[in-house]
Amino acid sequence: MDASLAITPDTPVGFRLESLKKKAAIQLMGSRLWGRFNPNHWDPEYARSTGLEAPIQTGEMSSAYIAEMCVNHFGADFFRGSRVVCKYVASTYAGEVITTHGEVREKQPKGAGFRFIVDVWAENETNDKKTVGWVEVDVGVERKAQS
Amino acid sequence: MTGSADQRSELKPMSGLQRRQTREFIEGLASESRPYWDMVEIGDELARELHITPELVILYADGVEDFNCWYEGWRMNSWRVEGESPFGGAIVPPLLVSHFVLSVQFDATRPFSIGSIHTFHDSRILAPIPVGATVRIATRAVDKFEKRGRRYVRHECDVTDVNDGTQYFQEIRDILSL
Repeated sequence: MDASLAITPDTPVGFRLESLKKKAAIQLMGSRLWGRFNPNHWDPEYARSTGLEAPIQTGEMSSAYIAEMCVNHFGADFFRGSRVVCKYVASTYAGEVITTHGEVREKQPKGAGFRFIVDVWAENETNDKKTVGWVEVDVGVERKAQS
Repeated sequence: MTGSADQRSELKPMSGLQRRQTREFIEGLASESRPYWDMVEIGDELARELHITPELVILYADGVEDFNCWYEGWRMNSWRVEGESPFGGAIVPPLLVSHFVLSVQFDATRPFSIGSIHTFHDSRILAPIPVGATVRIATRAVDKFEKRGRRYVRHECDVTDVNDGTQYFQEIRDILSL
């Protein structure tokens, strides 16, 4: 983890997380572990037959992108008592380039630190939002205070 | 994004043989498919055990191009390794088990439902999962509802360690059923 990205108890409300960019590559969308079970995720002809303009990514891939961004900033804290809420508001089509975003909305005092509330979203090249939600992560909170 | 034939073929170039094989595979899936709404009743509970091997983690992480070394319990040339993370050995990416919830709620003993779309999740990451753990993923259908003419099924899920009972993950998730 890049220590310069770490969110600490001193990180202010309004802080913007560093974005990630990912291409919705059809070969990854259709891999066995991700979307092979549903041809809407990887076959252009089948997708068109169901009314889609192109294969769509599983929403969980964009949640994974957002989680990666959060791990970059929260590190180990993201794996202990965090919450991730995501709503898939629009389809991500094969070939689109998705950018993740995050902005600290609130810091709730908790123990020796704070529970950070961060708005997160993922959007395409024309700023159409695909996934919106928020995450909650404890930073600087004594472990025993989390129980 | 447009749906012209040329653009679609550029997305996934295929030879004639590949096209035939693809159509056969899809026809096999479609012939067994049923609407998810019809397959689930409120109160349905399902559970499966998943051994989270190092190779499984690599397949998951490579699919989303997440190359964080904390997840590496397998490396080319070394193969299985203990790995390193702030928790000791390699750990599982935070939302990996969320992805596998769907293969529990889509009951493996029934025809698969390919007309379904995951629309929402509210996930709680309670503790890091060590690579190599075997977890129990348990789901319960808690609601079926219609909203703006669309049909949804809501599930609650819990993920625990099979060996020591550690609770790793909880989730509420909605599936839109076509």
